[in-house]
Amino acid sequence: MAENMFYLRYYVGHRGKFGHEFLEFEFRPDGELRYRNNSNYKNDTEIRKRAFVGPAVLEELKRIIEDSEIMKEDDANWPPADRVGKQELEIKLGGDHICFNTTKLGSVLQVQQSKDPDGLRIFYYLVQDLKCLVFSLISAHFKIQPIQK
Amino acid sequence: MADLDFTVAPEDEEVEDLAEGEAMEEAERSGKQLDPSDLRNTVLAKRKGRGFRDTSRDEEPGGNVRYDSLEDGGGGGAPAAGAPAKSIEGWVLFVTGLHEEAQEEDVVEAFSEYGDVKNVYLNLDRQTGYVKGYALIEYAVEKEAREAVKALDKSKLLDQEIRVTWAFVKQGGRGRRGGGGGGRQ
Repeated sequence: MAENMFYLRYYVGHRGKFGHEFLEFEFRPDGELRYRNNSNYKNDTEIRKRAFVGPAVLEELKRIIEDSEIMKEDDANWPPADRVGKQELEIKLGGDHICFNTTKLGSVLQVQQSKDPDGLRIFYYLVQDLKCLVFSLISAHFKIQPIQK
Repeated sequence: MADLDFTVAPEDEEVEDLAEGEAMEEAERSGKQLDPSDLRNTVLAKRKGRGFRDTSRDEEPGGNVRYDSLEDGGGGGAPAAGAPAKSIEGWVLFVTGLHEEAQEEDVVEAFSEYGDVKNVYLNLDRQTGYVKGYALIEYAVEKEAREAVKALDKSKLLDQEIRVTWAFVKQGGRGRRGGGGGGRQ
């Protein structure tokens, strides 16, 4: 039972001229998807959405995570969060619980030149695949075009 | 059961304390009754990552944050848990098991048999460029979506079995049955 508990949260953001700009989404064990996207640029206000996804969506998420083998990685040698920003990925899956953080990654080159290119590459692509899925879900359900695509 | 195999990483005791406190906090923040098995899982799970030591993310007020949702809070009786939920412009299906070389045309062709497909999201694996394996299909009409589920779930597309279900469902399951869940809606 508890072993099957699945939870995922991803955050990316920074603090700057336009306040605390960030994107955050989470999937809870019961299928609740929460989504936040904030920028104060041109007095934009925070977008907050929630919806319930079916079990197949959670299963597909788990498959994507398992295929990536992110749970075997470690963020110890990843570039730490800095003024550029922060990314954080928290996942509970199959009795493992990770909460990795690092700075914003602008390009594959930055990944290549880091101290742990193999691990960071997995993170880099997984995050893109996750964002891609979430943006599709949110726009299909609410017709929202997110920032930080 | 096997979940007792998971012990706290023996790095230091601080981690364990933090774990328990955080789980409580998390429960408080979401206004949700905490399932004891969840809590145990949180405490006993193997933890890894710098994020657990980073407290700066907790500065958000969190607890009373309001989220927009399309659920109307129930006109017309309690919705069946897991029943399909309408999206803003229609009904969205979630397809999995897609062949990595499937084209949008293949998908549209299959699903158009059952109605007018309003939108397709066929996402690619960012690293390989092949189809990731899932798609979202939107119909304006519920009946058409329902027929597509019935006909295409477990059918074959490019020689591969696909699964077709509803992408969005009515809130149900554990949250509602528990009688707690006061923080919601």
